[in-house]
Amino acid sequence: MTENAVEIKNLVKKFGDFTAVDGINLLIKRGEIFGLLGPNGAGKTTTINLLLGLLSITSGKILINGMDINTHKSEIKSEIGHMMQETVVEPDLTARQNLELFAELYHVPKSEIPGRVEEALKEAQLTQFADVKAGTFSGGMKRRLDLVQAMTQRPKILILDEPTTGLDVQNRVEMWDRIRELNKRGVTIILTTQYLEEADALCNRIAIIDHGKIKAIGTPSELKKLVGSGNILRFVVGHDQTEKAAGILKKEFGLTPTVKNEVITADVGKNDWSLLAKATEKLEHNGISIFEVSMHLPTLDDVFIKLTGSGLRDTTGEMQTRAAAVRWGRGR
Amino acid sequence: MGITGDTYTLFKREMLIFKSNLRTNIIRSILFPVILILFFGNLGNSIKGVQIAVVNNANNPQSIAFINSLESTNAFSVQGITTMTNGIEGLRDGSLAMLVVINPTFPHSSSGAPGVYIYYSESSFTELSSMSIIESAAEKFGASAEQVQSTVQPQSFGASAAFGGKSSYKDFIVAGIIIMVAAFGAIFGGGITSIMDRQLGNLKAFLITPINKLSILLSKILSGTVQAEIYGLLALVIGLLDGAGVAMGAIGYLWIIVIAALISLGFSGATTLLASRIKRVEVYAIFANMITLPLWFLSGAFFPATNFPTWLQIMSVYDPMTYAVQGIRYVMILGYYPVSAMMVDIGVLLLFAGVMLALSLMLFKTTIE
Repeated sequence: MTENAVEIKNLVKKFGDFTAVDGINLLIKRGEIFGLLGPNGAGKTTTINLLLGLLSITSGKILINGMDINTHKSEIKSEIGHMMQETVVEPDLTARQNLELFAELYHVPKSEIPGRVEEALKEAQLTQFADVKAGTFSGGMKRRLDLVQAMTQRPKILILDEPTTGLDVQNRVEMWDRIRELNKRGVTIILTTQYLEEADALCNRIAIIDHGKIKAIGTPSELKKLVGSGNILRFVVGHDQTEKAAGILKKEFGLTPTVKNEVITADVGKNDWSLLAKATEKLEHNGISIFEVSMHLPTLDDVFIKLTGSGLRDTTGEMQTRAAAVRWGRGR
Repeated sequence: MGITGDTYTLFKREMLIFKSNLRTNIIRSILFPVILILFFGNLGNSIKGVQIAVVNNANNPQSIAFINSLESTNAFSVQGITTMTNGIEGLRDGSLAMLVVINPTFPHSSSGAPGVYIYYSESSFTELSSMSIIESAAEKFGASAEQVQSTVQPQSFGASAAFGGKSSYKDFIVAGIIIMVAAFGAIFGGGITSIMDRQLGNLKAFLITPINKLSILLSKILSGTVQAEIYGLLALVIGLLDGAGVAMGAIGYLWIIVIAALISLGFSGATTLLASRIKRVEVYAIFANMITLPLWFLSGAFFPATNFPTWLQIMSVYDPMTYAVQGIRYVMILGYYPVSAMMVDIGVLLLFAGVMLALSLMLFKTTIE
């Protein structure tokens, strides 16, 4: 057995002319919580679908626990658990029936099913609702059921696609605890998320993906260092004044500002707090209309903006919508 | 576990979901047949001047009064003849629609034979309605016309020969409605749930498990078939409660189950295939109805296909539902399923189900990604 749970080598996936995944290389170690971050449509979900064997690989290789996904499909499927972005729980079936169904689909030995189902119900704190239709559950309960459902076959790797999207704060924190707990039991976890603080709080390592390529990979603190070792000074100004403002910051304070859309960021010294007031005054003096000012330690947001230039804005999402519109034209 | 085990697991899921919504499913599926059977099945007879011949073997006052009462209904143009042979000739060459034979003992039945025999040449709506008028007229004289037994082999009337005394338009329409409910049940069973599964992510959840992909499709087709069959039999029960009958008796029920199962299987295959190509329930519903409704009308469910204009008759030949409806009619109305007709009906239905199953299996494989 290799020490890598997942090895991805030069992975490419094309949909017609569109390259969704463009030569990704990744090593995910056993026992890691690994985060895949990227704007919507960056290629995260495609990568996950490739890992799950739902899509065929255009070129490249995926090894799961040292096994090639193309040749060991069914063995690999039993080793991977997956919780989708949407909660997949059959509302007309009871919690128990839902769990039994997936245990059977994963070919869990018949004699073990009742025990595992009981255990899963307990873990999801749903024992007293075991025979209640899942449709009556709250969002948090459904999500808990969904998670234990993904674990019924006891996978070594768990892939979570935006596990906390749509959950309230309490449920989100609880989900984080569960993910950590599963990880402690030795499950390798790969997750995508749109909440950068979630990635920061959970992940041992993070890969930032954009346009189907990996832009950066490392621990959260390694990634933050990419932005700078000191504080980040951040201005949001009128969009036609960004260049002018950046020029002033460069000339007057000797900074090297980065401009992305209306946001100007600059790396400054660690304790240089007075700079904030001085720079603000200078910009105002020069007739720049300022909408937002801040100075903070680098966050993953800064990394994200620096690397993808888009924040978490949905640019590729629009492309997908357009593609769907074209499909409509074909009468689907 | 192989494909059989996986299919069974998923089939069980479908049936559990079906059971969990049992009341809604039943109400939805029986509403339509209830309305159609109760409303149209009991429509009054509005026929006029049907050519019938009467052989009066009794020649007593009661029998003459019976003939007069037939004449007075205006439904018939009655012609007295002397021998049954002439009457059967008339049925063969089409100059007669029906032949009424009054037994010597009329109005009393003797040794199990009824007072009146009714023969007719076509299993069409007009004759069936006429039948009930003659029956009720006979009953007024205390004679039974409902226990008519054949003294002549039905084949001797020709391919479309028919014989029976207990038929009504209700039997006629119930046969059509059983098939309709089964076909429409198949739309709900396999197709819609396939689309919903894709929309809600269930399909993806199934695909990442180590099951055989085809078991997903097979479970849909099988559960759709079983559900459609249940709906079809419910329609039969409603028909029976409302007074329709199965002339063939116990074996007749078996035939109805077989025929309804075959048409359900065919339509489940067809609708699942359709659903695997369509992403939205609304679009699917339009297409499914667009295909099923015309097929149903063409099958002669409401009116005999022989009353259609020629071009429609030709189309109805290519409609698998025609054979299902026809088969059930033999069983329910005639009480006799001629081997030649059975071979054609069942053959066509098997072919239809087989082709649909094969197509959906072939095409589903490629459309999964």
